[in-house]
Amino acid sequence: MNLVDTSGQFVGVIENHKGILFKIANSFCQNSEDQKDLVQEIVLQLWRSFSNYSREFKYSTWIYRIALNVAISYQRREHRRKQNTQALPEEIFGVADTGMADSMNEHLLLLQQFIAELKDLDKALMLLYLEEKSQKEIGEIMGLSESNVATKVGRIKNKLKQKFLSLKTT
Amino acid sequence: MEDNDVINLWKSYDKKLEETLSLNRKNVTDITKIKVGSLISSMRPIKIFTLLVGIIWVILVDVLIIKLYPVASPFFLISATVQVVLTKIAVGVYIYQLILIRQIDIDASILSTQKRLAGLQASTIWITRLLFLQLPVWTTFFWSRRMFETGNTFLYALPIVITLGFTAAALWLFLNIKIENRDKKWFRLIFDGKEWSPVLKSMDLLKEIREYQNEKPVA
Repeated sequence: MNLVDTSGQFVGVIENHKGILFKIANSFCQNSEDQKDLVQEIVLQLWRSFSNYSREFKYSTWIYRIALNVAISYQRREHRRKQNTQALPEEIFGVADTGMADSMNEHLLLLQQFIAELKDLDKALMLLYLEEKSQKEIGEIMGLSESNVATKVGRIKNKLKQKFLSLKTT
Repeated sequence: MEDNDVINLWKSYDKKLEETLSLNRKNVTDITKIKVGSLISSMRPIKIFTLLVGIIWVILVDVLIIKLYPVASPFFLISATVQVVLTKIAVGVYIYQLILIRQIDIDASILSTQKRLAGLQASTIWITRLLFLQLPVWTTFFWSRRMFETGNTFLYALPIVITLGFTAAALWLFLNIKIENRDKKWFRLIFDGKEWSPVLKSMDLLKEIREYQNEKPVA
């Protein structure tokens, strides 16, 4: 396959999984400039690893592994913006102005806030749980056993329940 | 709120994104045209500068030792040699870490990738430990035989006391600058500054990974 075909195939994969990238960037970065920067960084790393993609995994599993690894590493950086010496193109996503933020209900905003406050590894785990990944798949992405996944997801869900409960009582 | 409610809430977010999110295909295509940069091109200018200064320093001191070998005092030669050897090890360790970090497989599982990455980033403190170990030789390079032969007791006791103090401080720092002490006040004081932030965050993540792996599954 030549470079043009590979590039076209890659763009198709990103198109089909764009929601994953957006949600990860949104959960790991609160600042919109950092979010854009992180999405670019993830797409760049995905492209660099695209030739090594193994068909034994689903595209979504492969994307989650790389995107979450990049997002967690991004948090540790000294200067987050524009670390690449080569200028990256402008925004990857366009969000239609349909008042999405306004239309989000209070519970969804609270859920997003809860995820944003989690530690990096818990955040990754919670995102995979919300995407309804099986415990086996979460284990493969995270590098944990299935029983460990169940324990940790249970712990995070309890925290979340308490958060919603405290909201109800106040 | 029940588990299903939370999942459905997330699905509603997905639906909204599906309706509003569009991909800029041209910009993604442009990313696929970016060539993989070299190790040097991926480094920040200040790091390249620091590395260059280190290499130039090592060459200069080496030249100085060779040129002055027949005439220089043994104190100078030994001090300069110890200093340059430790600097060479520090520069070598730094380059080796950069290469290893670059070679890490980003599509491996999150815990294994992050453990390796954070471990390598955190081990940068090894370079600081080595550099602190040089402290005593900065107090001995100007010593001379004459100082001890003709000077009075005070004149040679003072530098010896200073050198012993620096040696004790260097050894203490070398032995105590380690991840386990990262929350101590003196440690935070030495590693204060944004350039150390990735290293400290890496140490925090390593602790988080350890706790993660040690968490017992509920029976």
